Amino acid sequence: MTINLRRLFAGLVAGTAIAGGVAVAQHQLGSYAAPNLGKVSQPAARELTDDSRYGAASYPTFEVGLADGAGKSETQIYCGVCHTTRYITMQPPLPAATWDAEVQKMVKTFGATIPEADAQKIAQYLHEHYTPETRKQ
Amino acid sequence: MFRDALRWTGTLNRRALLRGAGAVAGSLAAASALRGMPEAAQEQSAATLPSFTGPAANPHWNSVGPIVSEPQKAPLILLTDRPVQLETPRNYFTSAFTPNEAFYVRWHLDRIPNAVDLKEWRLHVEGNVSSPQSFSFGDLLRKFKAETVAAVNQCSGNSRSRLQPRVPGGQWGNGAMGNARWTGVKLRDLLNAAAMKNGSLQVQLQGLEQGEGPEGMGSRAFQKSLDLDNPAIDECLVAYAMNGEPLPMLNGFPVRLVVPGYFATYWTKCLTWIRVLDKADENFWMKTAYRIPDTPRGTTTPEAMKAGGVKTVPIGRMPVRSFLVSPDGGAKIPAGMTVNLRGIAFSGYGRVTKVEVSDDNLKSWKSVQLGEDFGAYSFRTWEFSWAPKAPGRYSVAVRATDEKGNAQPDEPVWNPAGYLWNRIERQEFVVGTAE
Repeated sequence: MTINLRRLFAGLVAGTAIAGGVAVAQHQLGSYAAPNLGKVSQPAARELTDDSRYGAASYPTFEVGLADGAGKSETQIYCGVCHTTRYITMQPPLPAATWDAEVQKMVKTFGATIPEADAQKIAQYLHEHYTPETRKQ
Repeated sequence: MFRDALRWTGTLNRRALLRGAGAVAGSLAAASALRGMPEAAQEQSAATLPSFTGPAANPHWNSVGPIVSEPQKAPLILLTDRPVQLETPRNYFTSAFTPNEAFYVRWHLDRIPNAVDLKEWRLHVEGNVSSPQSFSFGDLLRKFKAETVAAVNQCSGNSRSRLQPRVPGGQWGNGAMGNARWTGVKLRDLLNAAAMKNGSLQVQLQGLEQGEGPEGMGSRAFQKSLDLDNPAIDECLVAYAMNGEPLPMLNGFPVRLVVPGYFATYWTKCLTWIRVLDKADENFWMKTAYRIPDTPRGTTTPEAMKAGGVKTVPIGRMPVRSFLVSPDGGAKIPAGMTVNLRGIAFSGYGRVTKVEVSDDNLKSWKSVQLGEDFGAYSFRTWEFSWAPKAPGRYSVAVRATDEKGNAQPDEPVWNPAGYLWNRIERQEFVVGTAE
């Protein structure tokens, strides 16, 4: 695979560094874990201490049933830098032009660093699986 | 033996049923009633929802995602897990206040707090002020008068999945809303403590949420601003309690802004920076996102958008809405029986003064009984005794009117971001014969 994972890891490292001029000790951001979807278990009670730290368990992340096909791995990797690809499967079937606009919004408005060729692959993948004509699952 | 005749509540055991019927004369009538039922209906088990809706409007009250359990929360409907977006199921809306554990969740960026150290955390009041301040959580509890307000928090995109044509975004059903008693400090008191300088124009709010995007872009920080001459500023609270408890982490612990009457986009979670600005905030979340067409009800058309030139303004107050919550139409009602219809209503423009229902396709309306008044910005519950006389299919519509005279229209709303839906809601009921 020719995809550059550097940005993904850079993001993860940045998450533990200085944020908005505030010391690391102030808070913990973005801890996610991976349980099974479709099985809602009762959570166990958390061990609490009477110090100044207040928190919750890691937020669960769930596998996304993205359609198989060319461009799936580019979609998973580039889109997954900032958000779950459930953002794609949650949508109603959208026209191809709407998907093109979404990909462009991620690049131009939100600054996603997706090489042009990969952005085209992602758009093509979305056309092939997520328009009113093509969506199956 | 008669018990055998009742077994059709599960998978029908026809042979056992007939055996029972043959042995006891009294159960013959019941057996013949069962024989009239189609096999498919008897064998039917609960079907599950599809994984998406569209391109037609979402026909369900809620969105269609799976039920998941997140930390400090009851099982809720999943929209997305990173960042977290969860919808409150319909059954929680029969009461005026939404439990904290069931309150919907909507974050924009994926690095959201799992933990906050109150020894380090401070609420900063900075920018165009003479005396910048940093308050600890304890300062907020001790140094300022506590105020409480009951107020509805509703996502700008609540009910987005109703729009036609559909628009991209979080595909919420009706459950991206909740009502709570919020307790905290007046925003005005905090601004006064910092002494705003002349030329102050807006106050910008920012919380701990961060994203992976480049510095200076909306994908890095979520910032919202309110005009300082907006009367809503004097109603804003920096809330440290929600329904008398600490806020769940996913709802903005340690403090969040409360802007009564306004959409939730201004209710910054994990609020940490209150920044006084001397010029208008031009960041993405003000200049580009969360804007509505400057038209009546904020509605426009795809054609007008394509043609260009649709003037937009930042989203503001919530239009009047009402919902029929229970019963949910999932069970038949025997003809002649009186059913207690229950629901809620609210408006960002002031008290709900009237809620009406119609069961004849909006031709005639009957006023319902309103529940306790918890203030202008709270949910108000309502009840209505409905007695459908004849078997058939019914559509019951509900319409609210607020003290400013705003009533819900039956025309849909459309704008490219899917905001401001407040069309009259309807619930289908099937009434069966009782004889």
